[in-house]
Amino acid sequence: MSHLLQFFVILGASAIAGVVGSLLGLGGGIIVIPVLTLFFHVDYRIAAGASIVSIIATSSGSAATYVKDKLSNIRVGMFLEVLTSVGAICGAFLAGWVHGDVLYVVFALVLFYSLIPMGRKILAELGKAKTRRAAAGAEAASPDPLAAKLGFSGSYYDKAAGRQVSYSLRRVPLGAAIMYVAGLGSGLLGIGSGAFKVLALDTAMGMPMKASTATSNFMIGVTAAASAGIYFLRGDIDPLIAAPVALGVLAGSLIGTRLLSRLAGTSIRIVFFVVLALISAQMLLRGFGVSV
Amino acid sequence: MKATKTELAVSFVLRFGVILSASVIILGLALLVAQGGQGALGDVAAVRSFPHSPAAVWAGLLALDPVAVVTLGLILIILTPISRVAVSIVAFAIEGDRRYVAVTALVLAILLASLVLGKGGS
Repeated sequence: MSHLLQFFVILGASAIAGVVGSLLGLGGGIIVIPVLTLFFHVDYRIAAGASIVSIIATSSGSAATYVKDKLSNIRVGMFLEVLTSVGAICGAFLAGWVHGDVLYVVFALVLFYSLIPMGRKILAELGKAKTRRAAAGAEAASPDPLAAKLGFSGSYYDKAAGRQVSYSLRRVPLGAAIMYVAGLGSGLLGIGSGAFKVLALDTAMGMPMKASTATSNFMIGVTAAASAGIYFLRGDIDPLIAAPVALGVLAGSLIGTRLLSRLAGTSIRIVFFVVLALISAQMLLRGFGVSV
Repeated sequence: MKATKTELAVSFVLRFGVILSASVIILGLALLVAQGGQGALGDVAAVRSFPHSPAAVWAGLLALDPVAVVTLGLILIILTPISRVAVSIVAFAIEGDRRYVAVTALVLAILLASLVLGKGGS
């Protein structure tokens, strides 16, 4: 394959990663790393460096729009970033002490397990009668005084539903604990932090799905930037691979942000469910020594 | 409900950072192809050397090395989220939200600490 064609194939694949990443609040590493390692035989270390750049580009590219549209909740994001960044530092320090293989399996199993509540929510949203019951259940859950104190509420205009959506969060300590684990995971393994963030916001704290993926997108750039300096100094960021990845992802994020505002929350949740299953499988494979 | 000033400031910093870094990367790639043809893009599977310290990038920029220009664009991408944290401290202060000035300052401190710790560790 000619060098120019290689460049454009990486650009195109990264654009797809940018669409998926900006839509679901993930970094896009799930697409970028396998394409580079399996298809182009790029060294795993260099692929991971390009993936870090793709996470930051997806985050900045999409959050510029999400923050303006009030889909990203910047107070919730900023507060929880304290936990993810402390987690990331702890993870980076622990990385030399613990076995990567075992960790991948543990994180994969946790993500597989989180498919259950996510699947239940999808079923509840698809059946109307069940939706009413679920909605009643959500209201019955006592409002979290901590959430009120921290100003953890928000409101955005849902273009797909054609109405203003207001929400306040619950179970802040649980969400905060999952955020710490998300940071720990990204420091230790370098992947999956976006998935854990969406789960903490949506499943644990009850933020609407669209606001969850948008707020996760807002946050992942900061988590990734914390370790990007280390990747750069170590020489893991090959500029001529990271460049098409960054440009492709940025272009893709422009499309993804437009898609998010037009799609229904349930559709996004279904896509997230499928991608989450793929991420868990990817992690499980890594645990057994297959780096994809 | 309209976006607050803090939200507009954060959004502006992110958009500005993205446009600036993408422009620098495209400029570097254009220089590369102009100087050495498309073969200069290199084979992605090959192990190659490139600048990966601020000093090496700076030296490359002075010598008008296209790869150093591309790397500068990538560094600007990495700096974008860090800048938006710094700018939101100021924005929260103007909004008069002391609690979030503290929270955001803490995030920035942790970020900078991780950069320094990372440098020391490698």
